[in-house]
Amino acid sequence: MTCADVTELLDAFVDAELPPPMLLAVARHAAACPSCDTEVRQLSALHEAIDRTGRAAAETLDLSRVWPAVEARIDRVEARRGFAQRLRSAPVWGAALAMAAGALFWMRGTEPDSGHVVARAAAARPNHAVIERIDSNGPFELRRDRKSGTTLIMVSAADTTGGVP
Amino acid sequence: MSFAPAGLTAAVALASVISGSAPVEALEVQVTTVRATTHGPSDARLTELRPRLRRLVGYRSFRVVQEQRRACAWKSHEPFELPGGLQLYVVPKSLREEAVSMHVRLVNGPRDLVDTDVQLQNRGVMLFGVEQDRDGGDGALIIMLKAEAE
Repeated sequence: MTCADVTELLDAFVDAELPPPMLLAVARHAAACPSCDTEVRQLSALHEAIDRTGRAAAETLDLSRVWPAVEARIDRVEARRGFAQRLRSAPVWGAALAMAAGALFWMRGTEPDSGHVVARAAAARPNHAVIERIDSNGPFELRRDRKSGTTLIMVSAADTTGGVP
Repeated sequence: MSFAPAGLTAAVALASVISGSAPVEALEVQVTTVRATTHGPSDARLTELRPRLRRLVGYRSFRVVQEQRRACAWKSHEPFELPGGLQLYVVPKSLREEAVSMHVRLVNGPRDLVDTDVQLQNRGVMLFGVEQDRDGGDGALIIMLKAEAE
């Protein structure tokens, strides 16, 4: 094993990807060769630093908003899928009627505004509620059931403010 | 003494109807209070709701302790006395796009537990949960609010 061989195998050695005999050979060479030993130690330190940085960055990530966003996306996809399935199962005359209605609206220049779109989306969920404003004298928690859209505002009967309004 | 001309009165009335500022739909508000606890049987009439309540509230047993249902006037202040000294105040404001707009206050003595403006799907239900002392095993009171405009 030469210094050139070690240089070529260095990354795989530090990542422990070499077969055991090769690992042993590189380690023996590095133990007897100060320059290769230095290279091995430096690369190992670099790998450890990258690993630590990655872990620290992962720990500081705020993932609390990820699931609500994913949930909302799932709802939209499910709504689209449900509509597509209904559309596929509709008879041909239903499609023709829908096209005729669409053409009629187009000719009349009628465009649904965002309020109508919101209302139609809400209609899919029988208990849909929009909280426009909320205040409380204590901590509260807003929970929503994904299937029905049922909203729960959870509060505590205990006065956690210490009597301070 | 002066009287407004009849034409002006009619115009104001017509304008208010056209603008939708004077809702004419009848409104019924239903308030059902349910006690949620960790153990015990549940009311048979809550069987359908039980999975949803379990998901949202986290308890296992649900029993209806009070039901109130009454016709309410739009923009009027409707108080509902609830078990445990709680009071629910509902001010139905309008019906728009099949959603009932309401001001709702849940009060425990001098404390405002919740003060909210909400748009609830017509005939829909929303819940207010009041957690009692969980360590003491008191569970929670669930207030189910339903608004139905015809």
